[in-house]
Amino acid sequence: MASDDRTLADRSGKLFESQKGYDPRVVFFYFITTGLLLLLGGGLAYQQLLRGDLYHDRERAQNQRRILVPGPRGNIYDRHGELLVGNRPRFAVVLYLDELRSHFRTEFIRIRKNYRETGDQELPTAEQLWTLARVSVVQSYLEQINAILGRDLKVDAGRLNKHFARDLLLPYPLIEDLPPADYARLIERLPVVSPLQLYTTNTRDYPHASTASQTLGFVGINEDVESNNLSGSDLTTFKMRGSIGRDGLELKFDPLLQGEAGGSIFRVDPLGYRLRDTKAVETLLPVQGKNLVTSIDLDLQLTAEQAIGDQVGSAVAIDVRTGEVLVLASKPDYDLSKFAPRLNHADAADITARGAWTNLAISGAFPPGSTFKILTSIAGMRAGVIDPAEPLDHCQGSIRIGNRTFVCNNDRGRHGEILLPGAIAQSCDIYYFAAGRLLTQDRLAAEGRRFHLHERTGIELPHETRRMIMPDSDYKERVFGEKWFPGDTANASIGQGYVLVSPLQMACFAASVARNEVHTPPTLVHRPNAPTLKTESIGLTPAQRSALVEGMVLTITEGTAKALNIDQFKIPGVRLAGKTGTAQKTVTKDGKTGTINLAWFICFAPADNPEIAMAVMLEGDTIGEEFGGGRNAGPVAATVLKKYFENKNRPADQKITPFKVE
Amino acid sequence: MPKRFDQARPFLTLGLVVAAWLIVPTVIKTFTRASFFELTAPVSVAASYARDLKEYWSLRLRSNSELIEAGRDLARLNASYDLAVQQNVEMQGEIARLEAILRLPSYTGYRSEHARVVRRDFSGWWQRLTIRKGKNFNFTVGSPVVFSGGVVGRVSEVFAYTATVDLISSQTVRLAAVVEGDIRPMSYQGGLNPTFGSAGGVIEFVPLDIFASANATKRLVTSGLGGVFPPGLTIGSVIKVEPSTDGLFKSGEVKLDDRLAALTEVTVLVPLESY
Repeated sequence: MASDDRTLADRSGKLFESQKGYDPRVVFFYFITTGLLLLLGGGLAYQQLLRGDLYHDRERAQNQRRILVPGPRGNIYDRHGELLVGNRPRFAVVLYLDELRSHFRTEFIRIRKNYRETGDQELPTAEQLWTLARVSVVQSYLEQINAILGRDLKVDAGRLNKHFARDLLLPYPLIEDLPPADYARLIERLPVVSPLQLYTTNTRDYPHASTASQTLGFVGINEDVESNNLSGSDLTTFKMRGSIGRDGLELKFDPLLQGEAGGSIFRVDPLGYRLRDTKAVETLLPVQGKNLVTSIDLDLQLTAEQAIGDQVGSAVAIDVRTGEVLVLASKPDYDLSKFAPRLNHADAADITARGAWTNLAISGAFPPGSTFKILTSIAGMRAGVIDPAEPLDHCQGSIRIGNRTFVCNNDRGRHGEILLPGAIAQSCDIYYFAAGRLLTQDRLAAEGRRFHLHERTGIELPHETRRMIMPDSDYKERVFGEKWFPGDTANASIGQGYVLVSPLQMACFAASVARNEVHTPPTLVHRPNAPTLKTESIGLTPAQRSALVEGMVLTITEGTAKALNIDQFKIPGVRLAGKTGTAQKTVTKDGKTGTINLAWFICFAPADNPEIAMAVMLEGDTIGEEFGGGRNAGPVAATVLKKYFENKNRPADQKITPFKVE
Repeated sequence: MPKRFDQARPFLTLGLVVAAWLIVPTVIKTFTRASFFELTAPVSVAASYARDLKEYWSLRLRSNSELIEAGRDLARLNASYDLAVQQNVEMQGEIARLEAILRLPSYTGYRSEHARVVRRDFSGWWQRLTIRKGKNFNFTVGSPVVFSGGVVGRVSEVFAYTATVDLISSQTVRLAAVVEGDIRPMSYQGGLNPTFGSAGGVIEFVPLDIFASANATKRLVTSGLGGVFPPGLTIGSVIKVEPSTDGLFKSGEVKLDDRLAALTEVTVLVPLESY
């Protein structure tokens, strides 16, 4: 105190007061203050400069939501531009729940007040009250729709709650798949600015219902739509349901057909409601997927399916020059329009019961029967055991091989001394039993492998079978632990026993023979300027080739397929080369086990300058029934071929202009 | 009182009024607005009558020969309209017969009520008209309004002696439309129109096989499916359509009738069931 008094005394009497400039104690506080300011500034700089991005990201994550909308899938066309699979719009009336926040709150308060006024002791929980409020508000909007459309729809509380919890920013569908008349009424009668809006989604459209159904395939729901072009992959994202290929071309070409998802990024409040009167931070329009132009010829496909009718079987037609598949028919099939927007359980069960899921053309493996004799003929000629100019054996209707007697199943008669063309035309089993015996199984199997009959064709479809078998002599030992007998070779030489192939493989085989080559890789993609296939030559001399083709022509004119030699199937100016086959398959029907026949027919036309090759396989439906390649399968192929040449020879002004898709 | 406070008083008063208006209940605001409109309506109506009187006197100044000539033209027009009316009656009979055969539901019946245009809303005069009839003629909100060139718009507000019509160039008007000769409905909506520019609208959900351009326009008409407008009324001309990126539909632009900007008389179609 004394010091203070002195100081005051010293200063008294002066005109102005003087301050001591730099008191050491004050300087100390300068340092402290400066230090604190530096600390504060450093902290701010650290937070702003170094951690700014982090906070920005957190702010974005908290305040922004991303909505993804899938792009429509690309269309699928036939080779002439006919639409096979497209998209059709689905009109819906939807409610944007995220715009109803204040409505929900007002309704919540009203309902709670009502409960309190009634003196109800058991007041619902807050969550129950919120549910009631939401249902009440949404029902009030639904009543507007009911009044316009004359319906009496009620809100599904469970579905609403689920949507509210998971997909608040996505529109809540009140009615889906509106017919055009209802959609038009709502356009005029709904307020333009309202949480209630008309909305369009899309679903697959199949203008030809069941045509090529297993080839085209179907789509399923895709819950995981992604977009690489819309930013904000780190944001909470709401995804509209898209579609994804599940079978057929839809599955195989899914990356091409799949549209590019679009969407928007919106700002939301802490409860997740979209901020009112704010525009999207970012918007990207969805883009339709690429179109696919297939090699399928719709007209031929329809013809083939109509010709097969209610039978079980398959027909495949291939452009000999390019390997493009013109027809890939399989029956029974299913109506694709039942898959849009989704297949119900009853229809799925029906498809399963009819066995219609399987594309028999590629997924079925069957003994090829006598159509295989073309391969045996080629193998025999190349190995030097068959001379087209010399008879191989004297057909007496049966032959003894090993300790078994094999009979000639064709014509139930004796073909006598027969040359190769006649053996092919009459499908003489004895000739081929003898050929097989001389040829050996290993050489026959090697020829089959040369034609790629032991492996998948590689067609652009899923579920192509791996069950094809081109057995060599150790096959039986390897698989069944049994010895291979000469009788097994005899069976294999006529396409029975262990030999299994798919109809598509046989069509490719026919196309290869038509081109005098050994390999025809099939494709379902149409390339207008595709080059002619060029693979290894079969290696027959001209005389051998001539005998082979002559045998196949005779099959039609006077052989096992002479049923086709009538006006109904004749094609003016076109010679057909073919081979029938009938194989057996063991089945159990109605508790009765027996064999049914598989009717085969392979062919190409014109015989001299082939353009189109076919394979048809039909299953008989009755045990012990007379069912054969010439009588049953041949007419299907002939009908398709006739249509092919009719279309080809149609005047130019009536032809379908080939379609170009970018 | 300090001088500075006196200077601030107007602003303070304005602030208080604005604050008071903000807290006034919505019901009172709506009532005030409607009352204000009803109070000022007679002024607008009187102005409209004055304009009519002015036009009347301007016509009185025309020479007799001009009037005689106009009278002849009018007589010819009336004759042609009489013929058209008779043909319409016959066609309506035929339509009714065909509808009966096909058991089609009949369209809503309308009573035509002509009304003079009192004024246009200059804050966006392409968008709104005020007409000189209202509740006194049983007008209802939503009633379609037409003129000789097609659709004008819809009644959006009805007052005692006047009504407000939202023009089809307004973004608040949406119709179910079809391209003439087609049956697939699409959505028409007024566009973003400049105040003194030509009016237009947009169409959405246009089927992919419909093409139109400025050189090859297509007439857009009401579909009749919406239940508000009768079918076949002209909306405008489709001058452009282009596919949307999603490949499902096209969207396009519609040019509206230029006469919408100079309408002096319109016809309100009052649904018969509401009458």
